[in-house]
Amino acid sequence: MFGWFLRGAASRIRTTTYPHQSDSSPGTTPGRPVATAFADGQEAQRAADMCPVRAIRAVDSTAEVDLSRCVHCLSCVRGTAAMKWKNDYNWAVSGCGGTTTTGRAFRKSLSIRLIDTGSCDAVIQEVKQLAKPYYNMHKLGFFITPTPRQADVLMVTGPVTSHMRLALKKTYDAMPDPKWVIAVGNCAISGCVFAPSFMSGGAVSNIIPVDVQVPGCPPPPLAILHGLLVLTGREQEIDEARATTGVEEKK
Amino acid sequence: MNVAEELFLVSLLLCVAGAVASVLLPGQWTGRVLAVFGSPATAAMLTAASLVLFGHRSIELHLWRFPVLGMLRLHVDGVSALFLLALGISFLPAFLFSDGYMLRYQSHHDPRAFGMFFHLLFAVCSLVLAAGDVISFLLLWRVMSALASFPIALEHKLNENRRASYLFLAMNEAGIITATVGILWMVALAGGHIGFRLLHASLGQISPTEHWVLFLILFFGFSVKAGLVPLSSWLPRAHPVAPANMSAVLSGCLLNFGVYGIIRFDAIIMPPISAGPGLVVLVVGAASALIGILYATIDNDLKKMLAHSSTENLGIIIANVGMGMVFTTCKLPVLAAIAYVVAMYHMINHSTYKTLLFLGAGAVDQQTGTRDLNQLGGLLKRMPMLAALFLLGCLAIAALPPLNGFVSEWLTLQTILRSEAFTSHLNRVIFALCGAGLALTAALAVTCFVKAFAMSFLGPARSEKSARAVEPVNSTRISMGLLVALCIFLGIGPTWVIPELDQAMEPLTHGLATDALVPPFFSHPHGDKQFTSGFMKGFDKIGAGAGEKAIPARGLVVLHQGGRSNPVVYAMSTFYMFGVLALIIFLTWLVVRVGTRKRISTVSEPWAGGLRHLAPDMTYSATGFSNPVRVIFRSIFGPAVREDSDTEVAGHFRTAITRQRDDGYIVDRLFLRPLTTAVNYAAKLLAMIHKPGVVNAYAAWVFLMLLVLLVVNRLL
Amino acid sequence: MNQRTHPTDDNIMISMLKELGDIVSNILESESGRLLAAACRADTLSSAVAWLVDRRKYRFATLVVQALPSGDLLDYWFYKPDAGPWVKLSVRLSGQARTVPSISEHVHAVDWHERQAEDLFGMTFTGHPKLGDFVLHEEWREGVNPMRPEFDAVKPMVEKEVDPRWHPEKILRTPGAFLMPIGPVYSDCAESAQFFLETVGEDVVRMIPRFFFKYRGVEKLAEHRSILDVLLMVERFSGTSAVAHATAFCRAVETIGLVAVPPRGEALRLIGAELERIRHHFSLLSDICHSTGMVVPSADIDVMEEESLRLSAQWSGHRYLYGLVSPGGVARDFSTSELALLSNGITGLAHAARRLYERLQFTSSFLDRFEGVGVVPMLNARRLGLVGPIARASSFKTDLRIHAPYGFYRHCPLAVEALESEGDGYARIRVLFAEVFASADIIKRALANLPDGPVMLPEQAVPAGEALGYVEAPKGAAFHYVRIGENGGVERLQLTTPSFTNWHGFHLAAENFAFQDFPIMMASFGLSIAESDR
Repeated sequence: MFGWFLRGAASRIRTTTYPHQSDSSPGTTPGRPVATAFADGQEAQRAADMCPVRAIRAVDSTAEVDLSRCVHCLSCVRGTAAMKWKNDYNWAVSGCGGTTTTGRAFRKSLSIRLIDTGSCDAVIQEVKQLAKPYYNMHKLGFFITPTPRQADVLMVTGPVTSHMRLALKKTYDAMPDPKWVIAVGNCAISGCVFAPSFMSGGAVSNIIPVDVQVPGCPPPPLAILHGLLVLTGREQEIDEARATTGVEEKK
Repeated sequence: MNVAEELFLVSLLLCVAGAVASVLLPGQWTGRVLAVFGSPATAAMLTAASLVLFGHRSIELHLWRFPVLGMLRLHVDGVSALFLLALGISFLPAFLFSDGYMLRYQSHHDPRAFGMFFHLLFAVCSLVLAAGDVISFLLLWRVMSALASFPIALEHKLNENRRASYLFLAMNEAGIITATVGILWMVALAGGHIGFRLLHASLGQISPTEHWVLFLILFFGFSVKAGLVPLSSWLPRAHPVAPANMSAVLSGCLLNFGVYGIIRFDAIIMPPISAGPGLVVLVVGAASALIGILYATIDNDLKKMLAHSSTENLGIIIANVGMGMVFTTCKLPVLAAIAYVVAMYHMINHSTYKTLLFLGAGAVDQQTGTRDLNQLGGLLKRMPMLAALFLLGCLAIAALPPLNGFVSEWLTLQTILRSEAFTSHLNRVIFALCGAGLALTAALAVTCFVKAFAMSFLGPARSEKSARAVEPVNSTRISMGLLVALCIFLGIGPTWVIPELDQAMEPLTHGLATDALVPPFFSHPHGDKQFTSGFMKGFDKIGAGAGEKAIPARGLVVLHQGGRSNPVVYAMSTFYMFGVLALIIFLTWLVVRVGTRKRISTVSEPWAGGLRHLAPDMTYSATGFSNPVRVIFRSIFGPAVREDSDTEVAGHFRTAITRQRDDGYIVDRLFLRPLTTAVNYAAKLLAMIHKPGVVNAYAAWVFLMLLVLLVVNRLL
Repeated sequence: MNQRTHPTDDNIMISMLKELGDIVSNILESESGRLLAAACRADTLSSAVAWLVDRRKYRFATLVVQALPSGDLLDYWFYKPDAGPWVKLSVRLSGQARTVPSISEHVHAVDWHERQAEDLFGMTFTGHPKLGDFVLHEEWREGVNPMRPEFDAVKPMVEKEVDPRWHPEKILRTPGAFLMPIGPVYSDCAESAQFFLETVGEDVVRMIPRFFFKYRGVEKLAEHRSILDVLLMVERFSGTSAVAHATAFCRAVETIGLVAVPPRGEALRLIGAELERIRHHFSLLSDICHSTGMVVPSADIDVMEEESLRLSAQWSGHRYLYGLVSPGGVARDFSTSELALLSNGITGLAHAARRLYERLQFTSSFLDRFEGVGVVPMLNARRLGLVGPIARASSFKTDLRIHAPYGFYRHCPLAVEALESEGDGYARIRVLFAEVFASADIIKRALANLPDGPVMLPEQAVPAGEALGYVEAPKGAAFHYVRIGENGGVERLQLTTPSFTNWHGFHLAAENFAFQDFPIMMASFGLSIAESDR
């Protein structure tokens, strides 16, 4: 046991410097396609047709991206009409366009309850990563709590299968007011590839009000962290200037 | 004839009147008759006993002259008065309780006989305690045992009840016969005197062997009555099947008669001359306490677990008596006095809360129709008043301050720690072991009664029966309320109680515990004069002087040796605890009240992981709650009757799993069953040698027996 | 598939099946192996299965039910490790008939397959003792079977009114027994499933699992969709085994199209699959350490897991290797520098894992919690046809990479199968570590022997047909049945996942245990619910 203690003490700190400094370590994010200007509308349409989930839409000669549908399949950068790709992760948005934040009281202490309503296990792994050494969200005052009774935020993953609908409602009802909901992953935001279907309502917002959406399939831990910062109104802590890694061309 | 004697006789007359009225009036009136006649009778008896104890009156009644042995008389001394007090404490609420309770029997059973026997039982019990000589004592004792067995079998149509009643009768009979033999031998040794005082005076010097044999015979005889291990087989069977008021007095005061017998004969009339008997009593007491509480913890029948808990409490009382006997022989009169006072304190406490709990269990049984803790649950919402009363009883019996159980259990453990005063290592080791056993008992008692309360009153209702329960009638609540008040008084007022007990036990101990336990500087303005200033300084250092002026008697119990060099002081004050607790509760209430005025509280169903429906059988059951104890102490509970069976279809589709586990009673296993096996075997042998129907053989046996007797007579 | 089998053996099988019950069968040869397709009647099914399993030592792979216009078709797929052709026993029902004799009493592995077919297709398996709500819970209307062709996959389900006093079936009959409900939402970050522990207090007698809270109907949604659309779903229904499932699906499609993936593509698939296995095992081991409160080793493995995730992202562009595998090969080629990066990364991870393993083996407080916990005896593992590391920890040889090698494993065989005999939690930990080391080794060998050439076949239309694609996923054997229609779309997809197979056997380990061992057993099994629920 003492050996383990020494081993722990001797390990170096690996925790990300985000949000105070941007974390541009390779491999933290799959990145995302961004709106790309093409020579003409036809080429933009060709780029849009490349997308198997119709996340890209051609508007005149520009191909615009609906991130909440993108599944990072990388088809759009492999074709002839390649989209531009940005390796960032600050892409969480307040749901329904509003600016729902938790207010000052929860800025430095937020209890989160995760509920899985039919997501793949990769999303759960990414949420778990938040409590692990590389991302350690505890230092920002975010904690996973075992029961909704103590939770301020409900983090929902998955396209809300009909068997989980009751449990989702019960979990939401069991939370004390005030409460917020974060939809993590495109499944939770739009149902992604699993909706619409006989088993899935398609989006969490059809069942309970959603305050923050974190797109991605699965969203990398830093994106989820960004979602939590957006919810607590701490976006200004993010060093925007350095957070932007350049738009790069991908194979 | 003084007031006390008059009240005593009035009480007896009221009982007889009650008995007659019960028989004459129709069955649905029995409960009312019990309340109307029984309660004043008990009240009169209580007053008489109080007059003897506090008013220094005495009761001396001459009954009749017995042809050979002389005058039979009643005499109530301090010890008897104490037991009378306990008797009254248990019987008074039981009589009141009957008013509402007997209604449940009127449709199935005729309760008139019960009413008669119950009245007579009280009268005879009082007379047993008042008996001043061995003959009337033995006669009345016999009558009492026989009378007690009838009310147990009120629901005599149930096979189980009849069996329990027979077992009660049979084992008590064995005890009486043994005790009778012992007492008559004692009378013979004392030269034929039958009055208690004369008997003691003329017993004189008896040889250690005779003393040992006599002690063992008497202890055996009275242990049966007290329900001590290993003679307690009848107790967990008979107590639960009786009606609740009967169970209450069975546990609350009839068990005390065993203690009375042991104190009267083994401690007063025949004081111990060596430490041995005292140690035996102590070990038996500690063993009873531990085994009682273990079985109480795992039992799921509310009344049966209370019955097991009676074994535990009687064990604690008897352990204290044993300690008193050892301290006496080791010439430590103050410690002996403390031990006896604690024994009496615990006895009165036990009478109080055990009666309370049995009445509570009876009320639960009456309102729900079940005593199975696995079927109960959620009664708090249905009967909040009963729940509060039952909870206080549970807190008292679990020895939590500031209630009465705490005072006597704390003093028990403190007294047993005083074994450092011994020079003999054997005594120290045995005291230490018994102390450990009693400490474990105290801990398990908390588990046991957390279970009793939580499983019956908290959580969801586990059956339809408990979901439909309603608050019981007033007589139930009043009778239980009286006992709760007494529990609280006995808890916060040891300063007042201990000197009185000490007075009563003085003839027995020849020392006074009051000075050691409740020093006079608490009750008298200049009571500290007899103590050295060094002692008082040390005493003040632990904060015992606080509030000296404001509160005259502060319920402070101290255990000290009073010396200059070693002012060892263990002090605790349930009175202060009570005050602080009340203050904390009040302040909490205030804070919650003020602090949460603006908050909105919402009520939602219990969080169960998003489960569709949290059924009652998805919460902890009583069996589940106590299963850790069952697992840890499996060597005591085992070898249990155990049947495990899995029903399988084609290897891995299991359709049913049965796990039947019957925890055998260790006393039955190690004592009663071998005994019955041996008796059966002997009977079979006898049956083999005497051929049925052969007259010649009978004649031969009779002749042989005669021959043997003649030879024996000749040799002697 | 395997050269050692003598063709006469096939003839013996054909004639035996003929004798058994007039079963007509013939051998189909394809690039990925030989298949003995036998058509039998409902009444001869049991004897044929008994003969296959008992006498020929065949193992059950999957049951594929199809609702065809001519009537329902049930295909029972069997395979034999190291030898013999794969066997497909088909039972064709005519018209509206939906009744088939149950074979799960004889072959326990079929149990859940039959239950799911009962729910999804409305089949009736006579003799099955435990049919009832399984995939579809109590809120489903009876008689509505989503996999039937007339069922609309897109229309939302209308829930049935459920009795508010709903209660799961309870079989422990003892006074004071109660059910300890866990889930579907329980503490920690966990997937949704429900477990009822039947108990009388300290010791739990039996565990009743309830799954399919996460049932998304992937198999139904896949119908009438293009292959690429379905591939997206197959990758994403269980993200932690994306490469394995994508490979299994693509292999089925390639078998139908009778095409052979270029060697370089096969090798890159192998590298992706083994990288995924390493990352997957790290996450299991982290959970295992976490379940016993071993914070430092847990954090150590967490670091390795995140490093392997980053390595995956750097190498392929996605942290969970989505989009790597595509029909006909892999989606992109990799430069020498990218492959070197991977090689270095793997070396570092394997080294760190080895050091940690050496430490863990000498931490008694850790081992005490696992030794003898959740024991699955070898016979039970065989009876329920368990797969993957769990089966191997009970010395049940199931590794398809060795016993039915596919893809690049034929040229670059796995050195040795990680086998342990105790079948307890510790044995599973040892197997996981051994597999991590074996994977690192095989990646390095594959990188060293990486063939040149294209990584992917040019895109071409896939003809109609059916095939079973299989891989050894990180959790065990996965079988994907795919049928392609005339228009090139997927007509039927059946996912038989290792989690589904192994959850069926979980109750074997979860019997007569103590409460506090439950999280440890869950962690040491390390099964995914997303993968099982589909």
